[in-house]
Amino acid sequence: MTALAASFKERAPQRYALVALGIAAAFAVVAAPVLAPNTYIIKIGIMTLIFAGLAQAFNLIYGFAGQLSFAQTGFWGIGAYVSAIGSQRLGLSPWVCLMIAPVLCLAFSGLVGIPALRVSRAAFVIVTLALTLLLQLVARNWTEVTRGPMGIPGLPPLSISIPGVAELDGANPFHFYWIALLLIAPLLMVLYAIMATRTGKILLAVNQDEALARSQGIDVVSWQLFAFAVSGAACGLIGALYAFHLSIIEPGIFDMYYTQMLLIIVIAGGAGHFWSVLGASLVFTALPELLRITPEWRLVAFGVLLAVIILAMPRGFGGFLEDRRLRQWRRRM
Amino acid sequence: MSLLKVAGLRKSFAGIRAVDDLSFSIEAGSVTALIGPNGSGKSTTIDCISGFTKADAGRVTLAGRDITGAPAHAVAAAGLVRTFQNVRVYERFSLRDNLRMAAGGTAAAKPWHLLRSARRIPAIALIDEYIERVGLKTYREAPAAILSYGQRKLLALAAALISRPAIVVLDEPLAGVNPSVIRDLSNLLDGLKAERQTIVLIEHHIPFVMRHCDHVVVLEAGRKLMEGTPASVQADERVMRAYLGSATSDVAGEKAA
Amino acid sequence: MDFSLLGQLLINGLILGAIYALVAVGLSLIFGVLEIVNFAHGQIFALGAFAMVALSNFLGLPYIAGVAASGLLIAIVGWLLYEGLLQHLKSGEFERGIILTLAIGMVVQNTLLATVGATPRYIDFPELYSRFEFAGMGIEQLRLTAAVIALVVLGGVWWLLMHTRFGMAMRALAQNPLAATIVGMNPKRVAGHAVILGMGLTGLAGASLAPLFTVHPLLGVSLLFKAFAIVIIGGLGHIPGAAVAALIVGLAESFAGGLGSTVLQDVAVFALMIVLLQVKPLGLFGRGARI
Repeated sequence: MTALAASFKERAPQRYALVALGIAAAFAVVAAPVLAPNTYIIKIGIMTLIFAGLAQAFNLIYGFAGQLSFAQTGFWGIGAYVSAIGSQRLGLSPWVCLMIAPVLCLAFSGLVGIPALRVSRAAFVIVTLALTLLLQLVARNWTEVTRGPMGIPGLPPLSISIPGVAELDGANPFHFYWIALLLIAPLLMVLYAIMATRTGKILLAVNQDEALARSQGIDVVSWQLFAFAVSGAACGLIGALYAFHLSIIEPGIFDMYYTQMLLIIVIAGGAGHFWSVLGASLVFTALPELLRITPEWRLVAFGVLLAVIILAMPRGFGGFLEDRRLRQWRRRM
Repeated sequence: MSLLKVAGLRKSFAGIRAVDDLSFSIEAGSVTALIGPNGSGKSTTIDCISGFTKADAGRVTLAGRDITGAPAHAVAAAGLVRTFQNVRVYERFSLRDNLRMAAGGTAAAKPWHLLRSARRIPAIALIDEYIERVGLKTYREAPAAILSYGQRKLLALAAALISRPAIVVLDEPLAGVNPSVIRDLSNLLDGLKAERQTIVLIEHHIPFVMRHCDHVVVLEAGRKLMEGTPASVQADERVMRAYLGSATSDVAGEKAA
Repeated sequence: MDFSLLGQLLINGLILGAIYALVAVGLSLIFGVLEIVNFAHGQIFALGAFAMVALSNFLGLPYIAGVAASGLLIAIVGWLLYEGLLQHLKSGEFERGIILTLAIGMVVQNTLLATVGATPRYIDFPELYSRFEFAGMGIEQLRLTAAVIALVVLGGVWWLLMHTRFGMAMRALAQNPLAATIVGMNPKRVAGHAVILGMGLTGLAGASLAPLFTVHPLLGVSLLFKAFAIVIIGGLGHIPGAAVAALIVGLAESFAGGLGSTVLQDVAVFALMIVLLQVKPLGLFGRGARI
């Protein structure tokens, strides 16, 4: 008992440092538009927020539920097109679009997830990939609705106007950052709540040993479907938000590029770990922008890095931390 | 009235009959062994009963309820819990979390069940009681990955028991463990028998079977060779022949263990 | 009913099906033997097309020679990829295989974009643009040539798998890896052969179809959807299944072309895939055993 108390005391300063760091980080995140010197920097901030949300959504289905899905890019594209078509062509309020997008993605995730999850891991991967490829073809060829490769330009700004309380102009990137934060922060909290509680434990259990989970009464497919649907809805919401940031949506939104970014973030960070994936989304979105590497060479570097990580330390930084903890336990026992 | 009834069970893989017209029943509170040489269909039988494989024909009833063809999670919810020959634990979880999963599994069969079962989160006292029962108290907050093979078997056993199943099926609990763990398991089984826990045991270790079981079912080539008390089975020369004739590897395996 | 129109649609459909089969066969083979879904398939296909551009536009190789040389070149790329990267994967590491091949695809595609750029390139084979006409129906010689190559390649792969030691080893490994090892096969060697053959075929497909398209680094993407759908419909890793599925998709596309839009065709293929997964989870021909 005393040893335990001592070890806790020893760790106390570390904990205070962590809390202080957390408060400083939260402050920086909220105050970014005030601190940012120019539009370029604040736009990087917006992209970091968007990828942070997207990466955690992907982390839920891949890192926690253990299902490699290529449909998340599809869902995010659906969200973006809902915003574009809804606000620009049907004249809906941007906020209504933001509500429709996740619901539609939920429906799509059921449509694809129910048949694919029942079959095999391979079928799930290929069906989810096929969905995204199909959506891109539809966006390109269904010109009556999507205007094809020309895309849908001129989305109205996503603004908040509550007289006397808040006036945020969505066309101004400094304001848009706060609007994005207002949506992404609660989303991250919801995802964290799912991952850090019993729900996350059950998903990790299913991921570690499907047969054992089944023998203990867990209906594995329904849990995988749950993670797929929640993740899909989150991606749809973020896609809908992203559309108002770009203000033009074209079939490129379904590009594999986004899946590749999510994979490198989640795998380097450590699939199934919230905080290290959050850190990785900062590293992989903000850093290359700040270093100003051309997009092509950046992706070549990411590809090489992804190959190295998957061969050398497939569980990423989070896995490294976990292994270190394991070694400490081994020494103690 | 028997607790588990298996009638006319059949299962073929690629034309080979792994289980062929097998019938037996398990009395409540009894310890029944399912023995037979390798490849005699023991594993396939419990895979069929526990919902991990779909049988081609036959009926399985648990406490009067038809569980034929039910998926594994539904069988577990009905009160039949199994362990695995190649021991399975959640390596990345602490021992406590391993048991938490096992205890709360059936209440969380589907995601929306959590909404109504939030209050049924297993008590920490119960979890620690079961960890202590298998003698792993010092490890309770350690990840299961650091446990030895034998310790994992003990953890898996605690996990199977913590949900207080009507019937627990132990698939070769002794395989690959050292004598001290065998002693622990033996003591545990004595305790369970005192609680009148119904147990099905699949085991090659004949002295262990003879010491603990009330009833023995002998399989050979997917069929039931005979069943009866341990003494009557041991006296039966067909059983001797089945083991010696076709499964010298078993004897060798036992020596190695 | 206009018979010449019907005949034309039938011919178009068969040719399209043959082309799809050519695109899908490499994907199916690699999955069949290694259980790796090659996510670099589209990029390897594009690499084949680029090899063709280089060989025909700059070295002036004739069509058939260019196709064969490109296939060979990409087979060498496949050998390097296997020796350098893919051989480190263990069996059962399904997700790792996908992510590794995806990373390879990322590197190939973006290196192409960064070096040769995104401007489309054309290959000219004036002698291949003539049309055969008979009984009111017509075929472009280029498409016919591609279809013939597809038939020859598929026949060749079939013969290789059924009648050579080389191919039988692959089938054995696909069907029972343990038994294959016991009888003294070197699974790594055989898997390496499968990757070389599979990638070579994909490169060859890219090269032979290059004159039909404008060649750019994202060339494979538009064909990828059909390739994956065909592989699922035919049964994962089942090569004759993939060939039949390709014919079905090609014919369906040709006959639906007059009736519906291209969007409807793609949606229909996807719907077929989803429905089939429900009715026959292993695909039209899958029986658990692969190849």
